[in-house]
Amino acid sequence: MASEKVVVAPLAIKMVLHNDLALRLRMHFKNKLSNFSIHDNSNFATDIRRLAAGHVGGQVFAAYVLCTAQDKDAVRLTLEQIDVIRRMCTENPEMELVTTAEGMRNSTKIACLISIEGGHSIDSSLPALRMFYQLGVRSMALTHNCNTPWAESSASLYPNYQRKNNSLTDFGKAVVNEMNRLGMLVDLSHSSWETARSVLKHSTAPVLFSHSSAYAICNNVRNIPDDLLLLLKENGGLIMVNFYSSFVACSHNANVSIVADHFDHIKRVIGAESIGIGADYDGAQGFPKGLEDVSKYPALIEELISRNWTEEELAGVLRLNFLRVFQKVEKVRE
Amino acid sequence: SASAPPLRLSSSPELNCARDTHNDLPWQMRSLFNNQLNMVDLNKLNTTHTNIPKIKEGRLSAQFWAAYVPCDTQYKDAVRQTLEQIDVIHRMCHEYPEVFKFAASSQDILDAFEQNKTASLIGVEGGHSIDSSLGTLRTMYQLGVRYLTITHSCNTPWADNWLVDTGSEPEMHGGLSEFGKQVIWEMNRIGMLIDLSHVSEKVMNQVLDISKAPIIFSHSSAYSVCNHKRNVPDDVLMRVKEKRGIVMVNFYNDYVTCSPTANISDVADHFDHIKKVAGSSIIGFGGDYDGVTRVPEGLGDVSKYPDLVAELLRRKWSEDEIRDALGRNLLRVFSEVEEVRDHLNGTKPDDIPIPLKEVQNPCRTDFGYQDKSSSTCIKSFYPLVLVLSLLNKLL
Repeated sequence: MASEKVVVAPLAIKMVLHNDLALRLRMHFKNKLSNFSIHDNSNFATDIRRLAAGHVGGQVFAAYVLCTAQDKDAVRLTLEQIDVIRRMCTENPEMELVTTAEGMRNSTKIACLISIEGGHSIDSSLPALRMFYQLGVRSMALTHNCNTPWAESSASLYPNYQRKNNSLTDFGKAVVNEMNRLGMLVDLSHSSWETARSVLKHSTAPVLFSHSSAYAICNNVRNIPDDLLLLLKENGGLIMVNFYSSFVACSHNANVSIVADHFDHIKRVIGAESIGIGADYDGAQGFPKGLEDVSKYPALIEELISRNWTEEELAGVLRLNFLRVFQKVEKVRE
Repeated sequence: SASAPPLRLSSSPELNCARDTHNDLPWQMRSLFNNQLNMVDLNKLNTTHTNIPKIKEGRLSAQFWAAYVPCDTQYKDAVRQTLEQIDVIHRMCHEYPEVFKFAASSQDILDAFEQNKTASLIGVEGGHSIDSSLGTLRTMYQLGVRYLTITHSCNTPWADNWLVDTGSEPEMHGGLSEFGKQVIWEMNRIGMLIDLSHVSEKVMNQVLDISKAPIIFSHSSAYSVCNHKRNVPDDVLMRVKEKRGIVMVNFYNDYVTCSPTANISDVADHFDHIKKVAGSSIIGFGGDYDGVTRVPEGLGDVSKYPDLVAELLRRKWSEDEIRDALGRNLLRVFSEVEEVRDHLNGTKPDDIPIPLKEVQNPCRTDFGYQDKSSSTCIKSFYPLVLVLSLLNKLL
């Protein structure tokens, strides 16, 4: 396997998306960073030792607050999560907070990008959205598992704001417009398919699914059906494949091979340039055998190489596709 | 007024350039236009104390704009509304870039002066805006906020307001709670100016006891001249002097003469008194324009600062003393607060949250708190919430 090592080395700096470590920090440590060792922490799937072992060069950290805070203190909680991510990324010499594609590209450390996971965080306020942008937030998922007053979730766990039709209201379109204007990535993971469809038609910038997989392989509503993939292709956007076992295998038993099946399928439908990695570590329990934490990414790369993915395609999946999309989103701002 | 026409000193520009620490134009933007700036032209607006022509005429060289939300948003959506006020100030600066230059440091104030623009800073008026959250305090600093008024006219879960001193509200904390002290020290650490206008007297003294940096009163006058509890008593004035802080005189008639009417001379009396008690190094302008309805005859809007300066000159204030009051004092305090911040650089942010039992209310979730034993109805939901939250992440 010596040849594989040679191939992996130039791809050593990786782009990974979507990490919910910040949520764990709140749940387990009340955001007290002093009680938490980011270097080596076996309780979580992420720490610097393992990010380095996995050759992770960039990480988007989600400032996430639970849906039960909607219409309560979601805004304050979001600010606190943004604060904890910012502190984590500025207090550690191996990490660096970035806010641009160029910053991400040029960083020689683990580059942190802040995202928000759920429109309930903005409390239906465009000024709040703008202030989050000013705080460094560069991506927002329009919904989490709850509807907002202006967009629909793929989950029906919560009774609020349920509707028939109107999955993206006029205000929802205004949110997307403002995100386009600011240069903030629109993330459609967790949104309903109808909301995703509306956004794909309305957005002037490429959008992304930060942690969703292929519905054709596993028919979970968090995954994306082929027709939406095709709309995504037209939009120039990106789908970052989620590794969570229930989404890749529709069961608790998954392995590297089934994850690779998702990559193969999406490549067949819309091309490797539309794909990225959105593992969702620390956002859930239950990851495939061989891909249990952030240090295990190379296993996936090896599998894709064995399925004849080219170096160029892999470089795209790992990093370049995301940077390209991020850059386009910045251009729309100008 | 019956006095001689005011002297305009166009020969010494610095003698005419005021730096004011409290103006509520952003609140007018919300009340009158719901923050829709494209519905108003600040060059033509004539229903407020403040507009661009008046700013120019008044030679206003720096202004802290108040990001204020009313006390009845406390325990509701105060944080979001405060973000909206912070946003409207930023947008105002973007809309009129030839007039306003956004500022977040003492150097920025000087730079704006060089460019002949009004340095525009943000002060959040009321501790209820941070919802008892140091993380929120830090992110607001990140958004450019440079002072926090510890309370508006309501107690927070960690500090008492001035109404407690009038007897019309019950005292809750005897001044500052333990968490209130954390807020003060975190403000010192990040370089946020501490504003004591609107707080109770005990809070004034306790903050003066523990703050590592000078403090300000962004819009309060002298209690000895008008014994309103929004004003500052002499003993506190002297402590402010010791601490090298500032008291920025409020022009609101009710705080100037303790009556609905006042004139420039009455306001100058406050300046004279504070100078007598504690020296000119602690005085400045905190007009409270557009935050109050009754302002003195002769000081009807923001174009009138030079007339007040003329009155002080008439009362034999030296040019040096006037420069102090106009803006040097503010710059001194701001620089010193920045120095304290720099000195404390390398100390860790405070991430100890307020104890849950001090802050329970129906609008507050309690994610992250391990010990919920003191919560009441929330307690029985905790296992359910945890299960739901795990389910959430599994879907």
